[in-house]
Amino acid sequence: MHRTPGIADLLYAYANGDMDPVEHAARVLEEIRRWEPKVNAFISLEDPELVLEAAEDAGKRWKRGEARPLEGILVGVKDNISTSFLPTTAASRMLDPYVPPYNATVVDRLLERGAIIHGKLNLDEFAMGSTGEFSAFGPTRNPWSLDRVPGGSSSGSGACLAYAGCDGALGSDTGGSVRLPAAYTATVGLKPTYGLVSRRGLIPYGNSLEQISPMARSVRDVALLLEAIAGWDPGDATSLRTEAPSLSGLKPAEPGEVRVCVPRGLPELAEEPVRKAFYSLLERLESEGASVGEVEMRGVERALPAYYTIALAEAASNLARYDGTLYPMRGESGEYWRYIAQARGRGFGFEVKKRILMGVYVLSEGYRDEYYVAATRLRRLVRDEVLRATRGCILATPASPVMPPRLGERIGDPLKLYAMDAYTVIANLAGVPALVQPAGFHEGLPIGVQFMAGRLGEPQLIRLGLLVEELTGLAEVVAG
Amino acid sequence: MKARIGLEIHVQLSEAGTKLFCNCDSEYRRYRPNENVCPVCLGLPGALPVPGKRPVELALAAALALNCEPPRALVFTRKHYFYPDLPKNYQITQFEKVGGSPVCTGGYLDYLSPDDWEWRRVRIRRINLEEDPGRTSYEGSILSSRYAYVDYNRSGVPLLEIVTEPDLKSPRDARVMVEYLLLTLEYLGATNPRLEGVFRVDANVSLEGGERVEIKNIGSTLDVERALRYEINRQRLVLERGGKVERETRHWDAERGVTKPLRYKEEEEEYLYFPDPDLPPVLITRDLLEAAREKVAEWSPRRVYEEILGLGVKREVAWSITSVPAAARTYLAGVKSGGDPGILARIVGVDLKGELREQGRDPYNPGNWPEPGKLAELSRLVAKGEYTYDAVKGLVLPKLAANPEAPLEELLPEKVEDLEPLVEEVLKEEEKAVKDYLGGKKKALNYLVGAVMRKARKRALDPRRARELLLKRLEAMKTGA
Ligand SMILES: [Zn+2]
Repeated sequence: MHRTPGIADLLYAYANGDMDPVEHAARVLEEIRRWEPKVNAFISLEDPELVLEAAEDAGKRWKRGEARPLEGILVGVKDNISTSFLPTTAASRMLDPYVPPYNATVVDRLLERGAIIHGKLNLDEFAMGSTGEFSAFGPTRNPWSLDRVPGGSSSGSGACLAYAGCDGALGSDTGGSVRLPAAYTATVGLKPTYGLVSRRGLIPYGNSLEQISPMARSVRDVALLLEAIAGWDPGDATSLRTEAPSLSGLKPAEPGEVRVCVPRGLPELAEEPVRKAFYSLLERLESEGASVGEVEMRGVERALPAYYTIALAEAASNLARYDGTLYPMRGESGEYWRYIAQARGRGFGFEVKKRILMGVYVLSEGYRDEYYVAATRLRRLVRDEVLRATRGCILATPASPVMPPRLGERIGDPLKLYAMDAYTVIANLAGVPALVQPAGFHEGLPIGVQFMAGRLGEPQLIRLGLLVEELTGLAEVVAG
Repeated sequence: MKARIGLEIHVQLSEAGTKLFCNCDSEYRRYRPNENVCPVCLGLPGALPVPGKRPVELALAAALALNCEPPRALVFTRKHYFYPDLPKNYQITQFEKVGGSPVCTGGYLDYLSPDDWEWRRVRIRRINLEEDPGRTSYEGSILSSRYAYVDYNRSGVPLLEIVTEPDLKSPRDARVMVEYLLLTLEYLGATNPRLEGVFRVDANVSLEGGERVEIKNIGSTLDVERALRYEINRQRLVLERGGKVERETRHWDAERGVTKPLRYKEEEEEYLYFPDPDLPPVLITRDLLEAAREKVAEWSPRRVYEEILGLGVKREVAWSITSVPAAARTYLAGVKSGGDPGILARIVGVDLKGELREQGRDPYNPGNWPEPGKLAELSRLVAKGEYTYDAVKGLVLPKLAANPEAPLEELLPEKVEDLEPLVEEVLKEEEKAVKDYLGGKKKALNYLVGAVMRKARKRALDPRRARELLLKRLEAMKTGA
């Protein structure tokens, strides 16, 4: 384990002339060259010459005093977020190599603020997975332990941060997809309030649940990225008409003003090392003067089936468009139905096909009320419980019930696989923000903690996160 | 045998300006294939639909014009089916179940039947606001074509699906209703019913003692009548022969003028309906509602028709004016600026409209109508007796139809102030006719009047005065003076 400068440090160093963006970019490219053959965090990489040229332009802007908020910062973008300058595959053969004719709104916002997008990051196909193993481009490995997964579905986002192959990363979080990777790679992931960040350009999995979410190696850096991408987008009808929150200047919370509560019974679902790290962090907070309590929450134990029912229904619908007409994977039969079946049969991986079938099932006439409609009812219940509970305190849970699994360990058993999301799906069902950051290590493997606030409670989460960082000292750490 | 007919009418909001969920053009016919598209209407991954303001306003106005109770919010629902020109393989439409909320769930339309001048009523069951799919074409036939060519220019065009209750009594009744409905939507500025493919009709028809049969693919109001007439005859023959009319869906073949079996409706199709998570409910605010109410109240076929009737115009002429919105606007503005209501109605509703048609100029195009003040002036000249209606009709209207911008002074014929020299000339030249008249052939007078008119050439002349003058002179000749 060692430390490496994060976004805030780099901006400071660029501003003072202590570091040159070209020098930094060259170092990041070198890390990628060294680690990528082992880790497989990227699906496509920008031409190194172009990256260095962009860094050179950034350097000039800093010298001229024209630097923008993220000038010269290297940000990797999950490959389900549309870029017109690099293919966007969603890690599926179906879209290899699809180059969108437009940029996602968040990509435009990053570029306008001077960030350099130097590659597209690996993921579970169409973001369906919790380990990063369901990618058509091969699994991503965890830089902290190469025989383990980095968590999914934003597997490449967590992994590239953990080996310093990027300064920041964008992931997407439908049910924990940036928070599991954050937990498993000792990085930070923040799933924003639903609607705070535009989804325009995000290849959808579960539209009503997901948000494009920033990842970085410190809470401060995640705040900087979120500030850059958040805010109303007229191109997304679900985006909130709020201004981008001011987050980067926030100070750590005073322990005395912090109120944390733990949903009763939830941490007990976790493995022992996770539980231990979780409670010892809470004790530390309490000893500093924070109030730590418990809260009763009805229905959260049924959050997982409600989440999967809704996500899979939406996914089955979203994936209907891939029929071999407009996208790279084709069929060859002259017969319409056979042609579609060929394209979809070849284009989708096994897990995606499985989820489509389940999604169609829960929406079918005769089953819809029992599954889809029931799940939306349960969702409202969970949402109301979360909104009630977060009115008085910040909810704390472990980020994942398990330590980072070995490759192949979880994907054979869907129930075990889906159970990895037990803590994270709650925030997606409720539409509230959730932050995952390192809580500690066990036998060299990272363990994460999750905090959830009420809607638009991002500033509270950032301030608590900064305090926790001070207590754990776990910021800007990288593997190796 | 009594027929019960219900219709499902799909009408594009061709005048909305934009597609339903993106800024592409609602009038796609002027583009080359796949030029009027963007990521949203191509359904590209990550592209998000955003409800357009105008399509929503127009749909709401249509719902109010059809006397629907407006919903508190519009909810859009995904309807899934695989089809080559449906880019997402689901259509964003509306549905009354699974949390959906269509723009209308019950209303009615009173429509005028120009056959007996009665107002009739059809109940509206539901109206959905939805997106039109693209279109597929083939080289030659679908079987021989090497490729299916998909054009997405139409994809996403706002479409109203209007479903009636089975209240219509005859094929003619159904046609009259559809025509009135289209006119109502045209008055709202929602659609141009004359565009190719702008509306399509499916019809349900059942006879006493038979099952309900659905006819798909009817593309014109004339064909609504033809298809239903054919189908009712077909069903009647089946029943008269003691057969059974099965519940089925048939296809209207306009070229052959027959309905053909399409498929048996054995079970409901599986559309996997659920509310589109990309589209939060569109709240119907008080402002939105007020704007729509005003639009409906100020300008509707019924209002216009009754206003014209109130001016003492015959209903045939009043309806002729009402049925062409550009004519109605011209007429009412002309009356307002002092035109003679009766004469103006004849000009607008009968002769100028006829002249426009004659010359192949579209009477629905407001640009083809002269400025209302000009027509008002013309009607006043006739009313004052300065010109005869026939002179205006014969000499002015054809020129106005050809060039509505032409100034009236240049069009009005020079008047023959002094008739006597013309009459004298004719009496001198037409010796035979004069002799005939004097010999007792009264009809010769008509010929002489015609001769005077011919001599006037293009100048305006009142034939009654010519006749009077001729008579006076001829009587004088008779008495030998
Ligand atoms: Zn478009």
